[in-house]
Amino acid sequence: MLLMSGKLPLAGIRIADFSWVGAGPITTRLLAEFGAEVIRLESQKRPEILRLTGPYKDGIAGIERSGYYSVRNPNKKSIDIDMNHPKARDLAVKLIQQSDIVINNFTLGTMEKWHLGYEEVKQIKPDIIYVTMPIQGSTGPHRNYMGFGATMNALVGINHLSGFPDKEPFGSGTNYPDHVPNPTHTAFAIIAALWHRRRTGEGQAIEVAQTEVALNVLPTAIMDYAANNRIEARIGNRDLNAAPHGVYQTLGSRRWIAIAIFTDTEWAALTEVMGHPAWTEDHRFATLTGRLEHQDELDRLIENWTSQQEPYHLMERLAGAGIRAGVVQNAKDLLEDPHLHARGFWIYLNHPEMRRHVYNNSPFRLSRTPTQISTPAPLLGQHTDEVLRDVLGLSQREIDQLRQERVIG
Amino acid sequence: MTEASHSLFDSLRVLELAGELGAYTGKLFADLGADVIRIEPLAGDPTRQRRPFFQAAAGRENSLRYQYLNTNKKAMALDLTDPAAGEILRRLIRTADLCLESYPPGYLDRLGLGYENLSQINPRLVHTAITPYGQSGPYKDYPYSDLTSLAMGGMLYLAGIEAEKPARVPDNQSFFQADLYAAYASIVALYHADATEEGQFVDVSIQESVTTALENAIQTYDLEGRIRRAAGSVEAGYGAYACQDGYVYVMAAMGRNAYLWDPLVQWMAEKNIPEAEILAEDRWKDPEYRKLEEAKTTFKRIFETFSRQYRKEELYEESQKRKVVIYPVNSAKDVLENPQLAHRSFFKHMYVASLGSNLCYPGAPYALEKMVWQLRAPAPVFGQDTAGILGNLGYGPEEIQALVERGVAYVR
Repeated sequence: MLLMSGKLPLAGIRIADFSWVGAGPITTRLLAEFGAEVIRLESQKRPEILRLTGPYKDGIAGIERSGYYSVRNPNKKSIDIDMNHPKARDLAVKLIQQSDIVINNFTLGTMEKWHLGYEEVKQIKPDIIYVTMPIQGSTGPHRNYMGFGATMNALVGINHLSGFPDKEPFGSGTNYPDHVPNPTHTAFAIIAALWHRRRTGEGQAIEVAQTEVALNVLPTAIMDYAANNRIEARIGNRDLNAAPHGVYQTLGSRRWIAIAIFTDTEWAALTEVMGHPAWTEDHRFATLTGRLEHQDELDRLIENWTSQQEPYHLMERLAGAGIRAGVVQNAKDLLEDPHLHARGFWIYLNHPEMRRHVYNNSPFRLSRTPTQISTPAPLLGQHTDEVLRDVLGLSQREIDQLRQERVIG
Repeated sequence: MTEASHSLFDSLRVLELAGELGAYTGKLFADLGADVIRIEPLAGDPTRQRRPFFQAAAGRENSLRYQYLNTNKKAMALDLTDPAAGEILRRLIRTADLCLESYPPGYLDRLGLGYENLSQINPRLVHTAITPYGQSGPYKDYPYSDLTSLAMGGMLYLAGIEAEKPARVPDNQSFFQADLYAAYASIVALYHADATEEGQFVDVSIQESVTTALENAIQTYDLEGRIRRAAGSVEAGYGAYACQDGYVYVMAAMGRNAYLWDPLVQWMAEKNIPEAEILAEDRWKDPEYRKLEEAKTTFKRIFETFSRQYRKEELYEESQKRKVVIYPVNSAKDVLENPQLAHRSFFKHMYVASLGSNLCYPGAPYALEKMVWQLRAPAPVFGQDTAGILGNLGYGPEEIQALVERGVAYVR
């Protein structure tokens, strides 16, 4: 089935990437994997925050050593340009003239301050696709509020609904919407816009309000309140549709297994694997309604059993019996996961300073035009000269002059 | 906004072999105007049985998740294990651009309806399969749920601190993640097919999708040999604290950087909060100090004396004026009453005839200047378009009747 096509779907598409940190760079990574040329505008004067945030190679801080930065930026080019220099705009204009997409996730007004708002960029390149990713949208009383991915989790309702009922609301433990919901929606919209341009010759603006994207993957509690006046609360790892449904201690420290029983057939299979202990005969556990009602007791009894089991061996036995089960894997487990290895999911690339280090492959495989992760994250400014010369057509003398004037690094 | 006419989505047809996966993928296409036909098994899409229900009453049309995921779609009910239904699918495939499915690997091949077969009928077809572990590898046949997928993909482990048990995020996020990657990969493949006439097979894994939500956890182990858990709640000034009407989420601690910390302490001092001056001491700038139990307890005691005097919305709005970051921990009610979302008319309402009521839906995830996102029709009633679509494929009324009588199709 692997009939590779000669050309990647986004070959020839160039992106002037003003974005940084989270959802922006993750979006452009998705485009770079399909062959788009992503040129990140960075600055030695005000480096990308993630270059200054760990983890670092061997735990030693350094602007070229961050894994937080590297995982979001393979396949990309980096130019070192000080956008606040009066001569920087001319260079940005030249780059935009040669680009198909301009993307940023700055606070509102930053691009406008450089006279690179949508209306101005449209004058520079009439068929441009111009992508903005404001946290709460470009209109409304909170449009300029500052925040982070982790605080957005709280605002959109993730925290209220995650954690155990007898403890504080917890959240995902990460800046979650930044990682998957927001970049994938944005990338989907960008391809739609590229396709529209192919058919009509027209570019367009795309605005992706980060809170509103996140709410698209959090529909049910909102619909439940609007329709039924019911305010849902956090329920740990339980589910309104299944019981037992939880995370149970196994042998080992910080070792748990997730088990989810939706049907009576699955319940019968679980009692079989447990060896039919007498308590499973209790009539209260015979139906889903009964199991939902008596979850505290059920969870305690199941955990008595799982806590004596080796987690992976238990997962295999349960899966073999048709039961939904999964070990709560940590990063080490994932890097050693035999299944992910069999699928070639982890890719190691050699970086000038970080040496061989890990990247994830795409979570999807296309039979003809598979994604390619071919070069590690760029050094800051690694491609300044190359881009100015080959893309913008500047002479070496002009490049030297700009460097002398500290427009570029 | 330009005219909606001739959007590229208007000429796209998507076939969705209905299940708990792929419905959000189909919705992204449908809400921009694509013709999305769901083919449900005669037992119905299992999502129809998922709580919460409209008015808390079970019923085939009552699942709110089902209603959300299937706006703007059509629905047929067919038993694909019957050769006559297979023939119907083959006829539909000739007219389709994209087929979405989530059957176990190999299942459709055994019915003669796998990609090898379908691509012979329609070489331009993009066939996207969403499965828990992908089409290959030792775990490919393992059963799954959202919880087990979050566990095996590593996201669950991060949602807890120290040796505490983790708790999952709401709303089956692992399914959304896989559906979203499926949507992105599918539209790229369609864009490619549009230029080259080449279709292809797309293999999407939930487990792999979830591993892309681990922030820097993989790199933390690869580069530093450390296994990380949650970022919040491990140090003073970063996490959830009680206020008058619930909780707020505070982000005052940022490494050695005090730009979010100092104005907060100043604010508390202005309000004459007892012991606020303690928080102005230099040791609070040290992340290692803030991680101590003593520091966490002290901060919580002093801060909550302050925060319990105010409502979360007050703290949120006032904090922004002071360049402090305090966010409300919003319930669904709070989100629906949020002034910013209200100002932007984010939530949409639509009458659902099968429920005899309006429902409220999250609005557009993006604003595309030249394309219209719109809720035009509610989720389809079970079997509502079976007869109409069969008619369009050339089946006469007697043939349709025969299919129904043989239990191959359900017509509403």
